[in-house]
Amino acid sequence: MAARRVRSAPYLFIAPAVTAFTLLLAVPIGYALYLSLREMRITGLGLGPGARAERWAGLANYSAALRDHELLAGAGRVLVYGGLLVPVMLGLALVFGLLLDADRTRLRAFSRIAIFLPYAVPGVVATLLWGFLYLPTTSPGYYVLHQLGMSGPQLLQGNGMYVALANIAIWGGTGFNMIVIYTSLRSIPAELYEAARLDGASEFQIALRIKIPMVLPSLVLTFFFSLIATLQVFAEPMNLKPLTNGISSTWSPLMKVYRDAFTRGDIYSASATSVVIAFVTLAVSFGFLKLAGRRAYGEDNS
Amino acid sequence: MTITTAERTRAVAPVTAAKQRRKGGWIPTLGLLAGAVYTLFPVLWVLIASTKSIDQLFSTFTLLPGSGLFTNLHQLSAYRGGEFWQWMLNSALYAGVGGALSALLSGVTGYALAKYRFAGRAAIFNILLAGVLMPPVVLAVPQYLLFAKAGLADSYWSVLLPSVISPYGIYLARIYAAGAIPDDVLEAGRMDGTSEWRLFRSVALPMMAPGLITVFLFQFVAIWNNFLLPFVMLGDDHKFPVTVGLYTLLLQGANAPALYTLVITGALLSVLPLIALFLSLQRFWRLDLLSGAVKS
Amino acid sequence: MFSDAPRGLRLALGLTSAAVAAMLVAGCGSSGSASSAASSSGPVHLTYWAWAPGLDQVVSLWNKSHPNIQVTVEKQAQGDDLLTKVITASKAGSAPDLVQAEYQALPTLVSNNVLADISAQDGSAASTFASGIWKQVTLGTNAVYAIPQDSGPLMFYYRTDLFKKYGLTVPTTWDQFKADAEKLRAEDSSKYLTTFSANDAGLFAGLAQQAGAQWWTTSGSSWKVSLDDAATQKVASFWGGLVKEGAIDNQPMYTPAWSKALDDGTQIAWVSAVWAPGVLSSSAPSGKGKWAMAPLPQWTAGQNVTGSWGGSSTAVSADSKNKAAAAQFALWLNTDPQAVAALVKDSYVYPAATDAQTGGALATAPDYLSNQPDFYTQAAKIAATTAPAAWGPNVNTAYSAFKDAFGKAAQNRTDFLTALNTVQQTTLADMKTQGFTVSG
Repeated sequence: MAARRVRSAPYLFIAPAVTAFTLLLAVPIGYALYLSLREMRITGLGLGPGARAERWAGLANYSAALRDHELLAGAGRVLVYGGLLVPVMLGLALVFGLLLDADRTRLRAFSRIAIFLPYAVPGVVATLLWGFLYLPTTSPGYYVLHQLGMSGPQLLQGNGMYVALANIAIWGGTGFNMIVIYTSLRSIPAELYEAARLDGASEFQIALRIKIPMVLPSLVLTFFFSLIATLQVFAEPMNLKPLTNGISSTWSPLMKVYRDAFTRGDIYSASATSVVIAFVTLAVSFGFLKLAGRRAYGEDNS
Repeated sequence: MTITTAERTRAVAPVTAAKQRRKGGWIPTLGLLAGAVYTLFPVLWVLIASTKSIDQLFSTFTLLPGSGLFTNLHQLSAYRGGEFWQWMLNSALYAGVGGALSALLSGVTGYALAKYRFAGRAAIFNILLAGVLMPPVVLAVPQYLLFAKAGLADSYWSVLLPSVISPYGIYLARIYAAGAIPDDVLEAGRMDGTSEWRLFRSVALPMMAPGLITVFLFQFVAIWNNFLLPFVMLGDDHKFPVTVGLYTLLLQGANAPALYTLVITGALLSVLPLIALFLSLQRFWRLDLLSGAVKS
Repeated sequence: MFSDAPRGLRLALGLTSAAVAAMLVAGCGSSGSASSAASSSGPVHLTYWAWAPGLDQVVSLWNKSHPNIQVTVEKQAQGDDLLTKVITASKAGSAPDLVQAEYQALPTLVSNNVLADISAQDGSAASTFASGIWKQVTLGTNAVYAIPQDSGPLMFYYRTDLFKKYGLTVPTTWDQFKADAEKLRAEDSSKYLTTFSANDAGLFAGLAQQAGAQWWTTSGSSWKVSLDDAATQKVASFWGGLVKEGAIDNQPMYTPAWSKALDDGTQIAWVSAVWAPGVLSSSAPSGKGKWAMAPLPQWTAGQNVTGSWGGSSTAVSADSKNKAAAAQFALWLNTDPQAVAALVKDSYVYPAATDAQTGGALATAPDYLSNQPDFYTQAAKIAATTAPAAWGPNVNTAYSAFKDAFGKAAQNRTDFLTALNTVQQTTLADMKTQGFTVSG
């Protein structure tokens, strides 16, 4: 009797989540998959009723998405952006985490909250305020440079754009990753350091030889989440776009999805493109986890 | 809370060693302060900009405070009969209720996945997690069409319900339950004839509380900052959250330019509740449950 | 990993989770009660999606005098994505009764079966509007898909004091405009006459319209798409030349930097529409009394023609259960003298109804241009010279292609004709892919 209860209990416990997942995510995903195989066909002028009919498109939307060189170019831009963003953000997060963890540090609580604060700022607001700071005529930075007789770099055009966009993400994300790394630093037993200190190791050596290897799992995790966020970058370029000529409506793959779905009103090809992006994300994250799993846990994991 | 306890034990233990190294603490302190300056500067900018009146915003030096704060606050409050405060209230409702429901749902699911062995467990967990891979941009339209078929589009539910399911929250709750709830406590309860539901409610849930508060905070921030879902779902601006509401202030058409002073003041006000929530609940941020995660 | 979790904290957290649960119950209750609204008997309730500011005040006039038809404004953000939002809502059968729609969006909305034909109720209103404007809401058919609300005839705005200072003449032709731009750069290299904004396809469309462009036309049952016709090419190469030689700026409008440039006199002129004083008063507050309006420069001296930028209409959706009531409201809103006066005052629109353009509501010049007391008399004259526009069913695609291609060309100061060709090819290909019959 009791055993049967235990057996049925987990199913009852997960039932609400499975129901919610099915209705709110799985069905829409299924619907999106269905839409990706459909298309709208228009006849004649397309103005009267009945001039518009939805029909099967087979894999036409997919082949169009895969042949679209703008999608590929967007993926390339995201690679450059991510190549800039992820190492700098995680590097800063690691350095700040180690500094917070250093024994001698003062003003710890203040710095921790200050660096974490941008995480609370919505993307729309963050881009608006950085936009003000990037535009040469409204930015105090350019004002100071101008007074000194220098001119600043153009951040809203050419390659400066990558810096401008990555900076917004670094600003918003460093604190979060710092806290992840810092918390795992705090859980390292202090005896490990004492032993090293007795051997005459400097704080720097301790950080390099003990702390960083010990927090490697956190670094792997933060890297993983940063990777997914990078592949789905959307809000920052979208909100910065009105301020500059330098960001096209297909700057990142998800922006192309948005343009197709919300500007062109073509949900069908937008769905197909998203499915492609989702598969690439899946492949990249799976591949990364495999690689990281082997490197980080090769020794201690069964 | 882990942070504070850990700090305390470490500060006490190596007293002598720490004393030697106390001096010269300015290098890491300066490093952190440089980081704080970087992160706080734009916040300072919003603070200053929100004090400027419309004719000061573009004409006076960026970092010079203006005299328009009260006018801005007054105009923002007066906009369409106090619509801004309705948006703030809506955001609080979506984020508060959505975050709480999400935390509970994640809690019970994570608990089941961590503490029971049952057929299909791994498969269900993986499927739930795969939800994060589908970008929200493309789900918005199918979700809208399906909600409309159910007669729920343009209702509070249309924003609340999709926020409730969080693959990320379930993932965190599972990790946390695995670490925080000892199996023998559950076994002892079963020996006493406690029902499974009671075990969860009275034994497991309190133990998972710190982790669930983290899930709640994550979801709260995510829902508060969400833009696309409410933008697509809602037509009635009385139900808008503050992000979508501010967007309507920014885009009023070519013949009515963005109300920058109102948007900037509104942006500042919209961030304040989140900052307050962080400061009051920061002790409960259980981010270490993340770092333990990769292994399992 | 969790061995250091403080067990003593559990009680406090238990209380917190209880509070969370309580909040949850309270929250559910309030959201449940808020979502139930509509009633079956009594007055008709209409919802109206619009972005124009201050519409509530105008609508409240109607609600007071029409207790049986109550209209609620649901304010939206203006933008390309709003069009898709309306179309999606219509697909789901839940579009609002009334929508504010820009003229160029009407063919797209009609093509998606979003709009109702209200010719039975409002067909007689044709004589209230200029024929060019009325044609935009009928799409040249016998149906009526919307009631025109406002129009935006293009004009030339400039800083009188700075024009005097640099010895510039108010241009009557585009050649003079070019000469002014070059002269200003020679006089003071920190200033620009104006900027070319690749973010504003609507302005470019208006300029092409002035030159005589007809972007989408129909013959029989097929479309002809010619965004790169001779007139548009003339406009594109003119502005491209100015950008290339650095005679004008190449940065977008409606950014904080642009507001500042107008405010501090870095840009001293603006090709804009009749509604510009409203924009200037909040973007360039310190220029009050210093700006003035003149007719748009012409391609040939002595000509008298302008284009339009912006302008929108009030349409009734096919989903509406009370189409007659909605059509009645749409007509009242845009033709009733009291309503139009309120629109002018509270929503800052320039009414499309011909009589209203010289009516009492527009007797005094906008406050910002109080130095030009006959502003609206002049504006009405200019409005009468507006060239007809020709919109098609994929304007959004064309506009988005314009922003991308011209943004790139403006940034790199390269040939605008190449960019124009890209826009034409993209738009044409999109129509063919969708299945429209396209000729030529």
